[in-house]
Amino acid sequence: MSDDDEMVGYKQQPGKLPFARPGSGGSEKFSELRDESRIPESQGGTLAQPQGANRHDSLITGAAIGRRTPMVDSRWKVMGQAKYGDDIRLPGELFGRILRSPHHYARIRSIDTSAAEALPGVVAVSTGSEAPACFGVLPVTKDEHAMAQEKVRHVGDLVACVAAEDELTALEALRLIEVDYEVLDAVHDMRDGLKDAEEPIHDRGKYHIGDSNVQKRVFQEFGDISGMRDSAVATHTSDWYFAGANHGFTEPHAVAAHWEPNGRLTLYTPQQVPHYVHRALADVLDIPMHQINVYRTAVGGGFGGKSDPFPHEMCAAILARKSGRPVRITFDRDEVFYVNRGRHPSRLGMVIHADSQGRLCGMETDALLDGGAFASFGHVTTYYNGVLHTAPYEIGGFHYTGTRVWTNKPASGAMRGHGAVNSRCAVEVGIDDVCEQLSVDPIDFRLANLLPPMSRTITGFRITSIGMRECLERVRRASDWDDRFRKLPLGHGLGIGCGFFISGSALPIHWEPNKFPHATVHLKVDMDGGVTVHTGAAEIGQGSDTVVALAVAEVLGLPLDMIRIRSRESDTSPVDLGSYSSRVTFMNCNAAISAAMEIRQELLDATSMITGAPTERLVIGDRRIFSKDDPAVGVSYLEALQKAQEDRGALASSGAYRTPPMGRTHKGAAAGLAPAYSFSAYVAEVKVDVETGQTSVLKVWAAHDCGKALNPLAVEGQMIGSIHMGMGQVLSEEMRYGRSGNLLNADLLDYKIPTVHEMPEVTPIIVESNDPEGPFGAKEAGEGPLLPILPAICNAVYDAIGIRIHELPLAPALVHREIEKRCKELGIDDPLDLPSPDLEHSPLHHVLRERADEHSVRDLERKLDGERDQYHNGALFGLDATIPADEQDDSWTAVVLPDEQYLESPRLAGSAWLHVERRHQGGDA
Amino acid sequence: MVRIRVPMLPAPGELPWSASVNDTEVDIHVESNAILLDVLRDQVGTLGVKRGCDMGTCGCCSVLVDGEPRLSCLMLAHEAAGCALTTVEGLADGHHLHPIQETFTTHGGSQCGFCTPGFLVVISALLEENPEPNEAEIKAAIDGNLCRCTGYQQIVDSVRAASMIITSGKKTADATDPMPDPHPGMPTVEVESEELEVVPDE
Repeated sequence: MSDDDEMVGYKQQPGKLPFARPGSGGSEKFSELRDESRIPESQGGTLAQPQGANRHDSLITGAAIGRRTPMVDSRWKVMGQAKYGDDIRLPGELFGRILRSPHHYARIRSIDTSAAEALPGVVAVSTGSEAPACFGVLPVTKDEHAMAQEKVRHVGDLVACVAAEDELTALEALRLIEVDYEVLDAVHDMRDGLKDAEEPIHDRGKYHIGDSNVQKRVFQEFGDISGMRDSAVATHTSDWYFAGANHGFTEPHAVAAHWEPNGRLTLYTPQQVPHYVHRALADVLDIPMHQINVYRTAVGGGFGGKSDPFPHEMCAAILARKSGRPVRITFDRDEVFYVNRGRHPSRLGMVIHADSQGRLCGMETDALLDGGAFASFGHVTTYYNGVLHTAPYEIGGFHYTGTRVWTNKPASGAMRGHGAVNSRCAVEVGIDDVCEQLSVDPIDFRLANLLPPMSRTITGFRITSIGMRECLERVRRASDWDDRFRKLPLGHGLGIGCGFFISGSALPIHWEPNKFPHATVHLKVDMDGGVTVHTGAAEIGQGSDTVVALAVAEVLGLPLDMIRIRSRESDTSPVDLGSYSSRVTFMNCNAAISAAMEIRQELLDATSMITGAPTERLVIGDRRIFSKDDPAVGVSYLEALQKAQEDRGALASSGAYRTPPMGRTHKGAAAGLAPAYSFSAYVAEVKVDVETGQTSVLKVWAAHDCGKALNPLAVEGQMIGSIHMGMGQVLSEEMRYGRSGNLLNADLLDYKIPTVHEMPEVTPIIVESNDPEGPFGAKEAGEGPLLPILPAICNAVYDAIGIRIHELPLAPALVHREIEKRCKELGIDDPLDLPSPDLEHSPLHHVLRERADEHSVRDLERKLDGERDQYHNGALFGLDATIPADEQDDSWTAVVLPDEQYLESPRLAGSAWLHVERRHQGGDA
Repeated sequence: MVRIRVPMLPAPGELPWSASVNDTEVDIHVESNAILLDVLRDQVGTLGVKRGCDMGTCGCCSVLVDGEPRLSCLMLAHEAAGCALTTVEGLADGHHLHPIQETFTTHGGSQCGFCTPGFLVVISALLEENPEPNEAEIKAAIDGNLCRCTGYQQIVDSVRAASMIITSGKKTADATDPMPDPHPGMPTVEVESEELEVVPDE
């Protein structure tokens, strides 16, 4: 643009511009020129966009996103100043301790607390009778109480609690509480949970399923169920056992409660989901929600283990009310294991069918989950074990039976990769086996069976962006797959595994149809120019504070140190549903962007008034707003802000995010629905010592499609951390229960979390598929990256020793036993003579390669094409892509109840359907 | 009897205890069987020392006792009487962060941050003794510390980067300055991961 004199108003020299005092915020005194290499092509910049434009492109200022950004709260952490649960010290506080059940299952006949109360130094003692209200994280399965009401249901179940002047007095008081138990028959094996019991662990009244301990059962059939078995030329069948895993976060649970002088409760707790605690507290304490302030402390690791409202949080509040003083309860490490909520121990039956064209014509999954003593998130877990493996592949039939049973163990719950991890492992290992049977390369097989962008899965999930293909191709290149797979010597192996995970659940847990947004963010900008972000999203170390700051900084063109996050207190934060189901980046950043857009508009309007340049020609650079046509015409951010504030003072705005309506309508259709999905593919290289059975992971090439890496440092951290956690579950982590049902390893010495020596060298590869609805194209990166590591290692172990082991963890003793067994079968004396599997490509190989190439073109066209026709699962099998398969072909079904034929010979978990719910039992019920 | 604690007066069973904690002389009375971790957290007030397991398995409670990393949960306070104790709060040099504190932020060594204090003191002792550790030495130094978030890789990266800062003699950020920002032009110590392969493994 020429600099002729037509433009009136402000005009400055272009280039590095100094700010007038008192400056324009940020620690730099000069405004940098806008970095055009960070502005997308669609906005006239030079940032290449091979995946097309994004709806947030016009908001990009080049200020923040996409750079490796230290966490905004990291200084507190490295200086030892971050306050975790047990670091909250309140004046006059009492020490709370909890009396826990020594029995697996018992009826409480009586509790005598008089001796404890008489002990000097004891201020308050409370038992279950003082808090009869039930709670639970899911409104449909509230089955927990602050303390045992009538029965204790597992060793470690809460019986009573004490607040005393010091910890030793509190412990002594616990010893003085006399409880008379009547021991009941406990259920330890999950298979026994399917049977009728004399006294089921919970009683759901008319909704109780027979007299069994079945907590939730799911039956789903989609697609061509009879056809899938008929057309199969290769079938994989396996029965898996997955041991339970614990989150193993380093910070034990800790909580402090204070009944403030104004009659309000403040609860300090390291929580992933403060809002649900808020609700549960109101129920249990029988006070309105507005009388409670939930203060989220720094969270020393969550991974799903701090996302339930917990009984000990209720206990602290009850004791604080009773004693009139602050009460702090801190767990010992063994108590963490008794609270658990870790990965479900599960028995999975997996059948995978492939047809002559190398298509996945069917998957049949049967998942029996050991839920432990409470429901927790189990309702959802039971669905997730099935529905979350209906992608990324196009499949011909999907049959799922899932059952979660109550047993007298610490409750299982949500743990990173919630419900998808074990079944994903079984699916991917099954696919590997099918490829082995078909003599094709497992990566080629996967590439030829992927769903395209903007498609629907067999259960109706809406896939928007999918970077699966790029993930597979890049790990293939990076790991030198084609030259090494099935070619490594005995004891060395390569394996592939893929993953698919939700990026936020479309159905919030506290579901009042469309009454609440999923996430809300408030912004406030006052005279100083700093932007205060109020959000309820729980920073648990994953970087949610950082990423929301990045989103706001990006839109407003500000350096990160001008953004202040206030995310701790429910008093000041808008409601956010919490840090679970990998929802925070997607939903909270979308909310933050829409809030920032309002402020941005006000700034642009103010600039237009000052400079006379039309609003639509203005752009935002580094703390400076200027005309696209003449960069010299513009004002500093602070000048624009103060103009905008002339009439009403501080600018404030609010933004919210809600998922669009989507999905089908069958029972359970909402489980697994998400506004976007992440994809990942890992290749693992392992070494198995065939003489000892010791497995070690040497290298992992990890590609994860996170849509757009807003903070690559954090994304890589999540990926590597996920690999660490997943690898632990494959190799060493197991909650071991003895023959009498006792937990044997409730400590970090025997619960074996990998140390730095076990950790392989990880090459993280970030794939950006640019999601159309994600914030700047982003999707989740917190949980999905965990899924592929399990099957990748299992498949690599097969490549190394030629034995498929369907049990985790792959402890040396187990692997050694399997090697011995195989040697005996083959008549080999020396395990070093075991044959190592090899691969001779069959003719099908070329069919797959051709199809993969065609699909690669198809996918890119669909991605870049603005007019996206519907693509429904089933098109690969010759159906019309634009109509759901079951609406055009009678042999494709969508059923959610078993028929009589199935019930004649149900599989293990499916046998739960042999029971009849009490309300359907007729007159004799 | 409810005991009201008056810090100046010893309660029954308490003995005088003095030590230098982060260069500050501390003179208090502690129980004869008190655990160092409890004394540091509950009496001295260095809450940066974290309690993760109470049995020496996680390393969160690591402190330096006369420069040597020790697990404060496995140590009686009276064993450390008269020693110079360093906790995470004592690592920074005035306002200036210790290089490992700085690189933990820039290289993602800290996520939830609960294990961070333990790692930092252990690594600071390593770097004090050996400013250019190789990978095996780094791993050997931190193998008593559990981290559940990072998978250790970014911690090892952080150690390498800190080693480069120490050997280059560059200054670390001042903690009274605003947080380093990735915005161009910001004065952060830039260490690229590619440059890090300086010391080959033995």
